[in-house]
Amino acid sequence: MDDRYKECSDETLMELTKNNDTQAFKALVERYGRMAYSLALKLLGDPADAQDLSQEAIIRAYKARKKYDPERPFAAWFKTILINLIRNHVKKGKVRGNYKRRIQAEHNAVGADLAVTPDYILESNRRKESVWAAINKLSIEHREIIVLRHFEDLSYEDIAELLDIPLGSVMSRLYYARKKLKKILGSESE
Amino acid sequence: MSEERKKELLMKVVDKLATEDEEKEFAEYIKSDSVLEEEYKSFREIKEVTDTIKFKDLPDSYWEGYWNGIYNRLERGIGWIFFSIGAIILLAFGAYHLLMDFFLSETVPLLLKIGVAIGSLGLIILLVSIIREMIFARKHERYKEVRY
Repeated sequence: MDDRYKECSDETLMELTKNNDTQAFKALVERYGRMAYSLALKLLGDPADAQDLSQEAIIRAYKARKKYDPERPFAAWFKTILINLIRNHVKKGKVRGNYKRRIQAEHNAVGADLAVTPDYILESNRRKESVWAAINKLSIEHREIIVLRHFEDLSYEDIAELLDIPLGSVMSRLYYARKKLKKILGSESE
Repeated sequence: MSEERKKELLMKVVDKLATEDEEKEFAEYIKSDSVLEEEYKSFREIKEVTDTIKFKDLPDSYWEGYWNGIYNRLERGIGWIFFSIGAIILLAFGAYHLLMDFFLSETVPLLLKIGVAIGSLGLIILLVSIIREMIFARKHERYKEVRY
């Protein structure tokens, strides 16, 4: 990558992209590709889906470059595109068979927690595995807020902006997501 | 304390985002509310577990192919657009000639021509209606794919 792009802010790179500078956009992809893939993987639980949707989000961002408002941070704008794509994907029931099978196996088999351990988690133990499996059982609205707070470590304000909901709703949704998570974990340990 | 305030304080304390005053306020309430205390403990425990979950990073070779993957997707998208346009033109051309041959034929009875004409009109109305509904549903979708 051209060194002059390394010094540029995201917003400057987007301005260059607006003028059809594809190298500037490539620099943005290099900055945000990993983040996009990682967030999609946490929300979808399937590596192939995560790759598809993170790449699709990048393409959408490129296609929408002329509509980008430089007043808004690029990262938040891009994450919004990605999250909306993921929501749509889940809502349309397009989650890949691999993930569906894993969840199904979990519902069907007794003590199948170990079988659902994702191979992308660095270190695992039984407690982590059961918490992760429980997170994957949440609805997309609950899962996304848990992922954004627990794994992406976003502030309530950032989550509110990203999900386009009031600050109070962030705390309320987080409360119900955690309560649901607790219920799932409780029912599993019985 | 209202239920909303209770949830708000609980979330802030669990996430260690509460101010000193809010922590004191929460500590006061927790003394007399065992449900709140139990929720606090379980939420904290979940938070502690998730804080220790770390994800594997993918090898550099994967990321080298990432940009190529995006380029390929863009290329395929353009390919599909051209293919679709070509297919629509061919289908329209074929349908036009098929219908012209049918309606101009002297051997086909008039009643059959009228029947096919009315049926075709109905089919066109149905297709237009479905397409309009699809466009409307897309515009009013709860989660738009992209918000700018």
